[in-house]
Amino acid sequence: MAPFVPLFSKEKIMASKAFVTFRKKMDWRTLVLFLPGFAFLALFTFYPIIKTAVMSFTDWHIGENQASPWVGFQNYVSVFRDPIANIALENTFFYLLITVPGQIILGLAVALLLNKITKGSVFLRLVYYLPVVTSWVVVALLFRYIFNTDGLFNYLLKDVLHLTSEKVAWLSTRYRSLFAATLLGIWKGVGWNMVMFLAALQAVPKDYYEAASVDGANSWQKLIHITLPSIRGTLVFALVMLTIGAFNTYTPIAILTGGNPYHQTEVVLTWMDFQAFSAFEMGYAAALSMILTLLIMIITLAMIRVIGRKEK
Amino acid sequence: MQTRKYRQNQADPGKITSYILLSLGLLFVIVPMYYMIISAFKDNASTFAYPPVVFPAINTLTIANFSYVLTRTSFFTYLGNTVFVATMTVLISTVVSSTLAYVFARLYLPGKNIIFWMVLAVMMVPGLALIVPQFELAVRFHLVNNLWGVILFYAAWVTPFSTYLLKGYIEDNIPRELDESMFIDGGSIFTVYRSIIIPLTSPAIASTAIFNFLFPFEELGWSTAILKSDKIRTLPVAITMFYQAHGQTDWGYVFAMSVMAVLPVLLVYLLLQRYFVSGLTSGAIKS
Repeated sequence: MAPFVPLFSKEKIMASKAFVTFRKKMDWRTLVLFLPGFAFLALFTFYPIIKTAVMSFTDWHIGENQASPWVGFQNYVSVFRDPIANIALENTFFYLLITVPGQIILGLAVALLLNKITKGSVFLRLVYYLPVVTSWVVVALLFRYIFNTDGLFNYLLKDVLHLTSEKVAWLSTRYRSLFAATLLGIWKGVGWNMVMFLAALQAVPKDYYEAASVDGANSWQKLIHITLPSIRGTLVFALVMLTIGAFNTYTPIAILTGGNPYHQTEVVLTWMDFQAFSAFEMGYAAALSMILTLLIMIITLAMIRVIGRKEK
Repeated sequence: MQTRKYRQNQADPGKITSYILLSLGLLFVIVPMYYMIISAFKDNASTFAYPPVVFPAINTLTIANFSYVLTRTSFFTYLGNTVFVATMTVLISTVVSSTLAYVFARLYLPGKNIIFWMVLAVMMVPGLALIVPQFELAVRFHLVNNLWGVILFYAAWVTPFSTYLLKGYIEDNIPRELDESMFIDGGSIFTVYRSIIIPLTSPAIASTAIFNFLFPFEELGWSTAILKSDKIRTLPVAITMFYQAHGQTDWGYVFAMSVMAVLPVLLVYLLLQRYFVSGLTSGAIKS
């Protein structure tokens, strides 16, 4: 980066009254800029977080006249004893453990390949990114249609590739449905990863590779010793964002299976939504939210700690 | 020099492999998309045929599904609602995130680091996880069955990430000396915000604005809870409801509506592509 040439000498700035005022003392104008935005976030996000925490310890009723008695850890006990909640947590982890590495590996692979070519790379990038901008609702409906028993996927398996002799009822059992959901998640997410990794790859200095070639390194060694360490920051960022995203999964499941059959394919957020708005168990839903939030925080912070800081 | 030129003209086996693999991947991306579009042009009976018709004859295709959606549903109302929600979400989140980002990046405010960490923590909490108290808030402010009931909450959900991106952008790309020279010339914080921060942050603001604009075209859980009557539905809710009414019988209708709902988003994407890339990567490279 080019060094910035200051408009004024350091001494002149230090001596100026304005500098002292704005650096060391609070200006009332700061509050004018800060408070409206802060109040907005406080009302619509900080308050609901605190309220969720409080509600998770009560048997909450939404009406103003209804009592919401304090029940201690009862809701948490119910969540942990609830077999469906456990299934929902397992399914969320299943989805996360397949889609996050899947998206990163495929996205990185596409980025590496695109980085090698020049002709047509703009077009390819455009098309690979299309699923990312297409709404979740639309692509989930599309996959529901494709994974129908009479759908395109079975046709490919049975009649084109002859991998099965019978049509498979993809959306009728737990793991088959989750398989379809993870395929959808990967399909939709590869483009996002590609764009991130491509930008990171383009920032790696070319002479690193030239030096490695002189030393006789092969492509695999270059990938392991130059490329991956150079794009580490982006890898960690993608890992954290995708993990948060996987815990956030709602629409693909809500549309692909709606949690069916018998809630076997629920993820945490669909099950929470069901508890809150179909079963009206608000306290239970709040406890489930708190558990999910804590899980996300612990896992993402651990990731940043363990992987993100290693390079220093 | 001579040999180098010669070698460049030769087909490089590495490049050929790249093209082959990329084309295979392209097929994986394109086939579902193509299948959706082609199904939107099939008559409803043939969307259930087995084996599915992947390459239907041109004369079997029909635009009946599109005319059904345009005449029998309030498609343009849904689209208008979504665009309105998106525009308001962008306006609110841009004002809030740019002011907060300026404060966090530059100004003196006791405890601002703690507040910034709180904003970052909110980024990790799924918007839907707060649905219960947020619904209660919406009830209290009479925002249920009201477009503002989605606008205000969407703006609040997308603001933390925008704030984080803009703060990083200000710190990395706008020299402090620029603000300070403005102060020396007698400008106030407001002047700096208006004539330095906003203009110089505009590429990052554009990217966050585009992403935030697309959010209402995606979100389903909260909008389903809030938007109850047909006339105020946004596209995700409308498509889902339409699917629940027609999915067992009329996939052609569902995909016609889906394709029409995707078109405006694609248009935004194709026109404003470069901001997608810069917006995504400015956050990534920073961390």
